[in-house]
Amino acid sequence: MRTLRMAKQALSAMVENKIRTFLMMLGVIIGVATLTIIASSVIGARAEVMGKVEKWGLDQIMILAGAGRKPGVPQPVPTTLRIEDGLAMMSEIQNVKDVSPQINRRDFPVKYGNKSSYGVLVAANPNWASVWSTPAETGRFLSEDDTGRLARVAVIGRTIQNDLFEGDDPVGKQILLGNNPFEIIGVLEPRGTAATGIDMDSRVVIPLSTGQKRVFNQDYIFMIKIVLHDPSKMSQTVDDVRAILRERHNLQSGVEDDFTIVTPTQVMNIAAKLSSTFSLFLILVSGISLIVGAIVIANIMFIAVNERRSEIGIRRAVGARKRDVLLQFLMEAVGVATIGGVLGIFLGLIGLEILSGFMKLPTAIMWQPMALALISAIIVGLAAGIQPAKKAASLDPIEALR
Amino acid sequence: MIEVKNLSKRFQKDSMDVRVLQDISLTIEKGEFVSIMAPSGMGKSTLLNILGCLDKATDGTYTLDGVPVHDMDDDELSAIRNQKIGFVFQSFHLLPRMTAWENVVLPLIYSDTDGNVKERAIEVLTSVGLADRVDHLPRELSGGQQQRVAIARALINKPRIILADEPTGNLDSTSGEEVMKIFRDLHAGGVTLIVVTHDMDVALQADRIIQMKDGMISSDRPTAVRSGEVAL
Repeated sequence: MRTLRMAKQALSAMVENKIRTFLMMLGVIIGVATLTIIASSVIGARAEVMGKVEKWGLDQIMILAGAGRKPGVPQPVPTTLRIEDGLAMMSEIQNVKDVSPQINRRDFPVKYGNKSSYGVLVAANPNWASVWSTPAETGRFLSEDDTGRLARVAVIGRTIQNDLFEGDDPVGKQILLGNNPFEIIGVLEPRGTAATGIDMDSRVVIPLSTGQKRVFNQDYIFMIKIVLHDPSKMSQTVDDVRAILRERHNLQSGVEDDFTIVTPTQVMNIAAKLSSTFSLFLILVSGISLIVGAIVIANIMFIAVNERRSEIGIRRAVGARKRDVLLQFLMEAVGVATIGGVLGIFLGLIGLEILSGFMKLPTAIMWQPMALALISAIIVGLAAGIQPAKKAASLDPIEALR
Repeated sequence: MIEVKNLSKRFQKDSMDVRVLQDISLTIEKGEFVSIMAPSGMGKSTLLNILGCLDKATDGTYTLDGVPVHDMDDDELSAIRNQKIGFVFQSFHLLPRMTAWENVVLPLIYSDTDGNVKERAIEVLTSVGLADRVDHLPRELSGGQQQRVAIARALINKPRIILADEPTGNLDSTSGEEVMKIFRDLHAGGVTLIVVTHDMDVALQADRIIQMKDGMISSDRPTAVRSGEVAL
């Protein structure tokens, strides 16, 4: 009860000095608002990446030719990965539902009349559309017949369509891929930009057989995407795939793989690393704001203790113990910081609303960052209030009353 | 009953040993009305602060109602100030942003009394003639009214001792007389009253006048004799 009465006194002191109380809160408000905004957008961005990973397929594995474990580092083109490797997996591993071998070539010149552009040339089988969940939007996709007769047909992405045909229907038109004439048979559904920054709509898909024999003149391939029956047996299947490939490529034990297996887990790890960098930034920014907030509260509390010497003296004269005075001033500081924290959360939520509305930023409103923000605010209040409160409590009542 | 023996108070100032009180011994009975008179800076406020448990003596003993106060710690002294002693100051010392009744209940915050504190405040404010000023802020009250709020605050915990430091010093004579009337009523009700003053008219209303000089008691006598002398 005594504590409750003291809390009332602390609260009324806050209400009596509204402007001062607000100024004290300002640092905490800003700190907590930034913390709420950044935490929520980092979590939101992460959720978006995870969503993309899930869309990409939790039931899929990619096998890339070459041992390059670091994406983006240029390496000599390995020639060991073959279509037959994929077929072997299909027949020998029970959990493999589908395989899609393909050759990719970036920045491949595409021409129509006097217009030209550069796209990602993909040579693949008809099942590419379902494995990559990118069917044709208009026209049709590649067929087994196209593969069988090494047809010079292509399915293009939206970007290429816009570059060469300015939105006109391109189906039936002849384009040049390098120097090879191809007939457009369809346009792919738009897929936007991938997390890696590649425009997925600049892809041009041709039959794998045509690509090998007529364009690239190579019998090796660039990658195989595998779809699994049971994604929970992912690691077992990865082991099987590795074993088959090592055997087929005649790799002795101790020799490094000449291929790279990419699983959804690895992609998620990359995303997690990305968001932990953001988290560090978040902790820095809001940490600095909160420290500034604490300094402001401590300063104003010191001023308040000096201004209210006579109040402290009166309270001591009518029976307040040192710890009663300490508690009152500490509760004022903590109260100011806590209310500042709550206001900061509201301000942060408004900021998030604006960010997700105008800037199309992915955000996730969750209670954890808010609880964290509020707890930080309370700690700020305690840390900032303890010294001024001690000073108030140790004032000599006679001096204070003079 | 207040019993003080060989009390002295010293402190260091500019590496000089300043003696504010020297070897004070005195006894004040329950229900007595005592005035302490002295020129400024002669130690009367220090004595009052020690008697009121706000300050501690350097040497000597202080027994209050048979309990030795001189070796109590700060918490125990705070409890005595809260329960047994009421202070009245020259400059009232009200909290400016609180209403009359909120000022009056201030001591109750630090005691274990619950229940309707406002009702109790109104009761005490009524007894000092301020029933119609309960919700006023100090700045809306005259000096005399403010001092009566301060007296109500001193009385809220029903203390046995009231200590007043120049209670009429900032008041005009009419207000001062009102305050002294309240003191006489309290005295009649059995409260021990100790008033520090240098106003002879105020001092003469007490049973006994203690005069101090240079930190020592220079005279201690009942006023009846003195007024008798005047009568002669």
